[in-house]
Amino acid sequence: MSVLSAQGMTMRFGGLVAVQDVSLTVQEGEIFAVIGPNGAGKTTLFNAITGIYEPTSGVVQFSGREVRLGWTALTIARIALAFVLIGCTAVVAINVESLWTRVINANYVYLQPFPWGKAAGDFFRALAELPFSAGIATGCIGGCVGAATTLILWWRSRRTPDVIARSGVARTFQNIRLFNELSLVQNVLVGMDYRMKAGFWSALLRLPLFFSERERFHAEAEKLLEFVGLADRADSAAGSLPYGYRRRLEIARALAGKPKLILLDEPAAGMNPSEVVDLMALIRRVRDAGTTVVLIEHHMRLVMGVSDRILVLQYGKQIAEGTPAEIRANSACVEAYLGTESHG
Amino acid sequence: MRGRFGAITIILTCAAVVPIVDLALPESLRISEAVRGVFLYAILALGLNVVSGYAGLLNLGIAAFMAIGAYAFAILTCEIYPFQVGFWPGILLTLPIGALAGFVLGAPTLRLRGDYLAIVTLGFGEIVQDLLKNLDTVTKGTQGINPLPSPSFGGEAWTASDEYKWYYLLLAVLVIVVLFVRNLERSRLGRAWFSIRQDELASRSMGIRVERVKMLAFSTGAAIAALAGGLSASVLSSTGEPSNYDFQVSILALCIVIVGGIGGIAGVLVGALVMVGLNSIVLVKAAAALAALGIGGQGNVLLSPNNWKYLIFGLALVLAVRLKPDGLLPPRIERSMR
Repeated sequence: MSVLSAQGMTMRFGGLVAVQDVSLTVQEGEIFAVIGPNGAGKTTLFNAITGIYEPTSGVVQFSGREVRLGWTALTIARIALAFVLIGCTAVVAINVESLWTRVINANYVYLQPFPWGKAAGDFFRALAELPFSAGIATGCIGGCVGAATTLILWWRSRRTPDVIARSGVARTFQNIRLFNELSLVQNVLVGMDYRMKAGFWSALLRLPLFFSERERFHAEAEKLLEFVGLADRADSAAGSLPYGYRRRLEIARALAGKPKLILLDEPAAGMNPSEVVDLMALIRRVRDAGTTVVLIEHHMRLVMGVSDRILVLQYGKQIAEGTPAEIRANSACVEAYLGTESHG
Repeated sequence: MRGRFGAITIILTCAAVVPIVDLALPESLRISEAVRGVFLYAILALGLNVVSGYAGLLNLGIAAFMAIGAYAFAILTCEIYPFQVGFWPGILLTLPIGALAGFVLGAPTLRLRGDYLAIVTLGFGEIVQDLLKNLDTVTKGTQGINPLPSPSFGGEAWTASDEYKWYYLLLAVLVIVVLFVRNLERSRLGRAWFSIRQDELASRSMGIRVERVKMLAFSTGAAIAALAGGLSASVLSSTGEPSNYDFQVSILALCIVIVGGIGGIAGVLVGALVMVGLNSIVLVKAAAALAALGIGGQGNVLLSPNNWKYLIFGLALVLAVRLKPDGLLPPRIERSMR
């Protein structure tokens, strides 16, 4: 089954078409590479897939499903709640002085017991006697504003990167984006965050769930650091890591959420040849552990060495797709990278 | 890894022995009354530290939440209103009320970035003051609400002469706030706060729900600030006038966090001691000393140390930024977050 399928992806920024009608399908357990010269639209394609950009057109499906929060009873309830709450608040807020005078000041005699029942009755009587403009109209306007903003916020957050990440799609960044002040373990733990259950109150009151979860995830994070070969530095700050190790840490952080699919954006950039060899082994191990890999890379030895299939982009268009051997034999791809040979 | 917690313990233990030392000192050198002000500002700044230190959201209107806490406490407890819930329920209720106020301000605005959020919070601080001033049917306008109840443990309510009881009550609340804030800092939530402060997009791409996490920071900070407001109103037995919670207070809280070390609890405690202590202890004692020597007094404003306050604030900030840009006790997150 295809883990990732992007069909007819187009990404337009004003007049610039960064990605034009690109389609790709990645099968489970594959290592799939996207290559192309600088500015070919590879990272833009990644960003459109992972929700950082909303594609101008095109459909992205993960495991046959489009990841986009749909209408649920909760959404509708939330919008209705916003309407009622903000509507009522608007009515009370606008008339607060007259209500207070009528309900509190008129009923309370200094240091005498307060007639709660009568005050409540007065409150609703005062509300009922409000003129149309100050009552129903204010409530409706306030309620509509509340409901509309809730709707807009929901609409805009249906396909954000956190939604995509939570559906099991992780990524790394071309310009490494680690949390430099946090330790290596903490960086990995951020990647595990959405799998954790202990919330605000568990942390505040140190409930048993907090401790059991902390033990479990710390152990798992350390195992993951071992997997990428960084276990001996687990407690140092990520900012203190040498460059080559940072990319491994980013991979560990991306793997922390147990994703089905991982997108690596130029994982070999800035690495020396022996580090590249280690990285190739790591990418294979990631795949063997059950995560499908899509990578962007310029390093041809790595691409040709690990990929099952390759997609070639140039000026935002796909010019070829196939196995490493097919791509190597494809003159258009060689031209895209090296330019046309000019004869005498 | 326990190093900074050691610093917190040392500071709080020192604070606990101050009144005992005080008893041995002559009247003019006693400081425990002034230290109470330090505690209140430390609680306020701890609240701000959650918002601005951990989550990196610049909040220039923290005093507004203090005002909301003070007025909520006053309306719930003062005998001129019918509610009169008593000191303890009143002080506990400032927390949810503050959190709700934080939610109301945060819900529409937390998607704003950096400077824009700072402007919104700045505006909120001014609006709350104006509201409290002009809504005089409810808030008694510029008079403030008084008298307010004092705490008691079963027996008689405390009076102003029970100053050491007050001292230890505020210290106890401060200790509880420190513990709770520390619990949050060293948890999944604290980690998420640090991560969005450093790189919002990366945290979002790791599946952190940024809006929710920011909202929790905002509401938590507002709740703690409201608690500080309720406590300060009770200490003074009055909310004072709304302009007691003006921009100066927000800025002082921010100075405490920055001078102490943004994002660390020990730093905030030290910052509160330095910034507030300078004003209410050092300058006051200096003024008294000068007066005793017969210098200063009415004629010359320059000779009254109380008037040097802002000069010294400014100097302290410049020196802090120049010499200790990360604060007096900068947090080592990678260690403390273990």
